[in-house]
Amino acid sequence: MHHDQGIHLRAVCKTYRGRGADVEALRDMDLDCAPGSFTALIGPSGCGKSTAMRIALGLEDYDSGDVRIAGQPPAAATAAGVTGVAFQDAALLPWRSVARNVSLPLEVLGRDPAKYSHEIAKLIELVGLKGYENSLPGQLSGGMRQRVSIARSLITAPEVLFMDEPFGALDQIRRRQMNIELQRIWLESKSTALLVTHGIDEAVFLADYVVVMHANPGRVVDIILVPFERPRRNELYSAPEFHTLCDKIATVLHDG
Amino acid sequence: MTGRTGFLRSRTLLNLAILLLVWEIVGRMDWIAGGALPGLSEILVRLWIDRADYPGHVGATVYASVMGFLIGNVVAVGAGILFVLFPTLLRLTRGFNIAVFALPPIAIAPILVLTLSGMAPRVTLAALGVYFVTMSATVVGLSQFDTRAADVVRAYGGKDWLVMKLVRLRGAVPDILSGLRIAAPNAVLGAILAEFGGGGRWGLGTYLLGSLGRGEPARLWGIGLVATLIAGLSYLVFAVISARTLGSTRSVTLNTAIPGVGDGTAKPLPLRMAIFAGAALLPFVLWWAFIKLTGVPDLIAKTPFGVVDYLFLSDTSPAAREKLLAALAQTLPITAVGMIAGLSFAFLLAISARMFPGFIKTFMPVALVTQTMPLVALTPLLVLILGRGTSVTLWITISVTFFPAFVLLVQGIQRVPQSVLDLPRAYGASAWQELRMVSIPAALPYLFAATRLTVPRALLGVMIAEWLATGTGLGNLLNQSRGYLDYGMIWTVAAVSVCLSVAFYYAILFVERRTLTHLGMQTVE
Repeated sequence: MHHDQGIHLRAVCKTYRGRGADVEALRDMDLDCAPGSFTALIGPSGCGKSTAMRIALGLEDYDSGDVRIAGQPPAAATAAGVTGVAFQDAALLPWRSVARNVSLPLEVLGRDPAKYSHEIAKLIELVGLKGYENSLPGQLSGGMRQRVSIARSLITAPEVLFMDEPFGALDQIRRRQMNIELQRIWLESKSTALLVTHGIDEAVFLADYVVVMHANPGRVVDIILVPFERPRRNELYSAPEFHTLCDKIATVLHDG
Repeated sequence: MTGRTGFLRSRTLLNLAILLLVWEIVGRMDWIAGGALPGLSEILVRLWIDRADYPGHVGATVYASVMGFLIGNVVAVGAGILFVLFPTLLRLTRGFNIAVFALPPIAIAPILVLTLSGMAPRVTLAALGVYFVTMSATVVGLSQFDTRAADVVRAYGGKDWLVMKLVRLRGAVPDILSGLRIAAPNAVLGAILAEFGGGGRWGLGTYLLGSLGRGEPARLWGIGLVATLIAGLSYLVFAVISARTLGSTRSVTLNTAIPGVGDGTAKPLPLRMAIFAGAALLPFVLWWAFIKLTGVPDLIAKTPFGVVDYLFLSDTSPAAREKLLAALAQTLPITAVGMIAGLSFAFLLAISARMFPGFIKTFMPVALVTQTMPLVALTPLLVLILGRGTSVTLWITISVTFFPAFVLLVQGIQRVPQSVLDLPRAYGASAWQELRMVSIPAALPYLFAATRLTVPRALLGVMIAEWLATGTGLGNLLNQSRGYLDYGMIWTVAAVSVCLSVAFYYAILFVERRTLTHLGMQTVE
C-alpha cells in the first residue's frame, strides 16, 4: 500500500440506485496524485468528478475498490485532520465572523481554536482579508467569501487539499485573479491538491496534471501533463502554447 | 426605497388617524346599536375610572400566560429536537400533535377546571396554545439546514451530533423565534379562554364576563383594548428579537438542496400500520393516563371508556345522545356557513390584490394587526354590538376565518416569482387572464392551508358565541352541563369537539393532497 502524502483511488466503483434506473457514477476509477502535486479533475456535468472527490473525503460510500488519502482510508484521514476542503459555495456559517468560520474545522476536530489564533490571523492575511476578521459573511462580497473558505481549508495545515469548483460562482475576471492567488497560497502550503472544475483554462493554469473524465459511466479517459513553469503569471493566459494545450484537452473532452 | 416606505408609513398613519376619528364620531353619536360602540375617549375615561380594578386582573392573566408560554415552549422545543432526531417519534405522536393543534380551548377549559386546581387550568391552556406553533417551527428550522455547511463539518470527520450542534441548532433559531412570535399572543388567548370557562376571581377574561351583564360598553371595550395590548406587546417583543437576529443568520447564498423532513426510507407495511394505529390511539392513552395520574374520582373525571359508557351503555344514554345530536345540528351548519363565507371573501380579495394594489397596501397592515389580537376573546364586544342572535355567531366565525386566511393567501401570492408574472404580461395578457393563469393557481395551495388552519378557530368561535351569547348548540350544552354538574356531558362535548376538529382537519388534508397532487403542486405548512 502507498504510505505517502498523496491521493490514491484504485478501481473505485459507485452506482446510485434510483427507482427503475441505476446511474453508474464511477466505473473502475483510478487516480494517483503524487505528494506535492496539483491535479485538476475535469469533465462534463454528471461525469462523477464531484462524486470522486466526495468519496475521497469520506462524504460518500463506494461500492468497491480502494481509497487511500495520505496512506489512510478517507474517514481516518479526515478525522486526523490531514485534509482540507473548499466547496463550490463558500458554505460559511452566516452567524459566525470570518475568524470563527476559519476556525470551524479546528472545532470539529476537537482542537482548541484559541491556540491557533496566530495561524488564523496569518491565513486571513494570506488570503487578503486582514481587517475583516470580525465581519460576518453577509457583509462580504462573493469573492471575499470564497477567500474565507480557502483560508478555512488551510487552517489545519492539510497535507491534502480538496477543492470542488471553488470559484464556480465567480465571474471570469474575478476567477482569474483568484487562480493566481490560489497558486501563490498553494505554493506556500506545499500540499497535495485536487481541484474539481469544468473550466479548461482554470485547469491548465493551475495544475501539473489534468485528468479528463467522461460520463455514462463516469470514468477517466486521459491524463495530460501541463509542463509550464511555476509560478505561472497572467501572461500565460495569452500564450499560444497555453491555447494549444487547452484545445487538446477540449478535443479529449468532446471526442475521447 | 426608504422614501417609498416612509411614504407608505405616513399613509398608514394617516389611515389610522382617519379610522380613529371616525370611531370617535360614531361612538360619541351612539350610532351603533344604541351606544354599543363608545368613542375612544369615552373608553379611555372609563379605563381611568376603573384603574384600581386592572392590576389584579392583568396580573392574573399575564401570570398564567407567561407561565404557560414558558412551559409550553420548553416542551415544544424539546419535542421538536426529539422529533428531528427520531422521525418515527414524530409519526407516532402525529395524532396527539394534531389534536393539540385542533382542540377548541373553550371545550376543554371546563374539564381542566374539573381535574386541576388553582392557576393550573389557565397555565395548561396557555401552554397548549403555544405548543404546536413552536414545535412545528422547531422541526422546520432544524430540518431545513444548509447541507453545504453540514458537508464542511462532515468533511472533517464531524458526526451527526456535531452537525446538529454547529450548524442546525443555531440555524433553527430564526424559525423558532418566529414561532415564539406567533405563539406569544396564543398564550394570552389561551389564558383568557380558560378564564371564560373556569370562573375564579381574577383575570381579564373573568372581568370581561363579569362586566358583560352590566351594560357598560365603555368598560367592556376598555378590557378588550387592554387584552389586545398585552397580546400585541408579547408579539412585538419577539418580533424585535427575531428582527435583530435574522440579519446575521440568513444564508448569504441560496442553497437549492433543501433536505426533507423525516428519514424518507420506506418502512415495511406492517410497521407503518403499527405506527399509524399507535398515532391514532396515543391521544386516548394520554387522556386515560392524565385522569389516572391526577387521581380525580371517576364520577367527575371520565376516561375514554367513561365517555363511551355515558353515550351508549347507561340508562340515560338515549337522552344524552339526543341532546348532543341536537346541539351538533345547531353548531355544524353555522360553522360551515361562517367558514365558507370567511374563506371565499379572503380568497376573492387576495387574488384581486393585483387589480387593486392600493387597497391591499392599506388593508394588509390592519389584517396583520388582527393576527396578534385575541379575536375570539373579544366575542363579548361583538355580542354588545350584534345582540344575542345568530348573526353574532356568523360574524365571529367570519372574522376568525377571514383574517388569517387573507394574510396567508396574500403572502402566498406574493411568493410567485416576478418572472412568472411577467411572462403573461409580456404576451399582452389582460388582468383577468393573468388572474386565471397565475394568481388563482398560485393561491390554491394557500387556500387549502388556510382552510386547515381556520377549521379549529371557526369551531372555537362558534362555541364561544354559543356559550356566551346565543344559548344554542355545543357551546351552550357545555355551559349548561357545567351548571347541572352533568360531568359525563362535559367530557363528551370536549371529546366530540376535539374529534370533530381533527376529523375536519384530516378531511381537508385528504382533499388537499388529492387535488394538489393532481395539479402537480406541493402542500404548504
